[in-house]
Amino acid sequence: MTQDRIIRRMIRRDTHSSRSVPSIVAASILLVTFLWLALESVLWLLKDQPLLASPAQLRQWLLDLPANTIPAGMTAAGVGLGLLGLLIIGIAVGKGRRSRRALASERTATVVDDDVIAAAVSSKARLAAGLAPGQVTTTVGGRSVRVQVRPTSGVPLSLESIKTALDGELATYALDRPVRRDVRVLNEGAVGQ
Amino acid sequence: MRRTNRAANRILLTVVGLALLGAGAALIAAGTLPGAAETWQAIGSNLTDQARALATSAPLPDPVRSWWLAAGVVALLLGAGLSAAWLASQGGGRTPRLAEQADGARGRTVVDVGLITAAVQEALNGNRNVLASSVTAWESRNGTALRLRMQARKGTSPRELADTAEQLVQGIDAWLGHPMPVLVRITSGARTRVSSSRRAR
Repeated sequence: MTQDRIIRRMIRRDTHSSRSVPSIVAASILLVTFLWLALESVLWLLKDQPLLASPAQLRQWLLDLPANTIPAGMTAAGVGLGLLGLLIIGIAVGKGRRSRRALASERTATVVDDDVIAAAVSSKARLAAGLAPGQVTTTVGGRSVRVQVRPTSGVPLSLESIKTALDGELATYALDRPVRRDVRVLNEGAVGQ
Repeated sequence: MRRTNRAANRILLTVVGLALLGAGAALIAAGTLPGAAETWQAIGSNLTDQARALATSAPLPDPVRSWWLAAGVVALLLGAGLSAAWLASQGGGRTPRLAEQADGARGRTVVDVGLITAAVQEALNGNRNVLASSVTAWESRNGTALRLRMQARKGTSPRELADTAEQLVQGIDAWLGHPMPVLVRITSGARTRVSSSRRAR
């Protein structure tokens, strides 16, 4: 494999979830269930006391389930199980993106948390406009960087300088997924900064 | 990161999800469709009868009674074993050893990750933008790879940190003599949240 492909693979593996947590949960539940069923079967074969329920009792319970349960209860349980199944399929098939992204780099695979980018963008915008901490908040989402600026009351705000500063800053990151910059100035200002 | 088999996780989770979805659909059908309760019972007793017939077809002496019952227990144990294998396949691959070279009869040279950790920490000591750093190594498909994690101070430009990291990695390259794959992670963390951003001077 060439260097470039190795780097791309590392970035891909780091920015996407391995789904290990749902796998560990599912595998643990399956493991316990299988072991329990095997133990019950052995106890049943040896005609010993069951731990919770013998296979014969389980079979009878399953057979009588529709007769013993009200239909609404059956339906509700079915909907619950179905939703859980859909959720798991969604986790398995979905993209599994984590909130981090890759920065262009020549030598290494560089992956940055989204909140680090947000904090840096906020601080850059603050410096460009001469605002106090807390007057700029930034949200970094899938394909967008949304900046909210709360101007100081009575002090004109130069939106253009903020925009150019942010464009310059984002251009130096050279993120692998292009983001849309979106600066919004709030109507109410902060007093006494 | 690590050596988790991601495709296997996705496939197995899909299977589990489909099984749950099927069970849910059966329950909904039994709850809503008229006559479904009778069908449920009919299918159930039919299956039981078949299982009984199967069990008597290959008899064994008393405690086990039938080959098929023994096979059922083995199948359950097999299922348990496969689940354990799935569980064990998560993660793994982390190694304390970065590089290794055997020099025939004269011995072996081993480079530990601790060496790089100490060097990186020393290099970042005076850097006020990096709150904490850590270095780990893991075995990947293409040999040992290095992960360099840096915790950024709030408001630090990630580009600046990436450039710092690149310089460090170039130093490591020159030191080790052969470049290895490096993943640089610039993160926020507990210390980022309580740290104040540096004021412009």
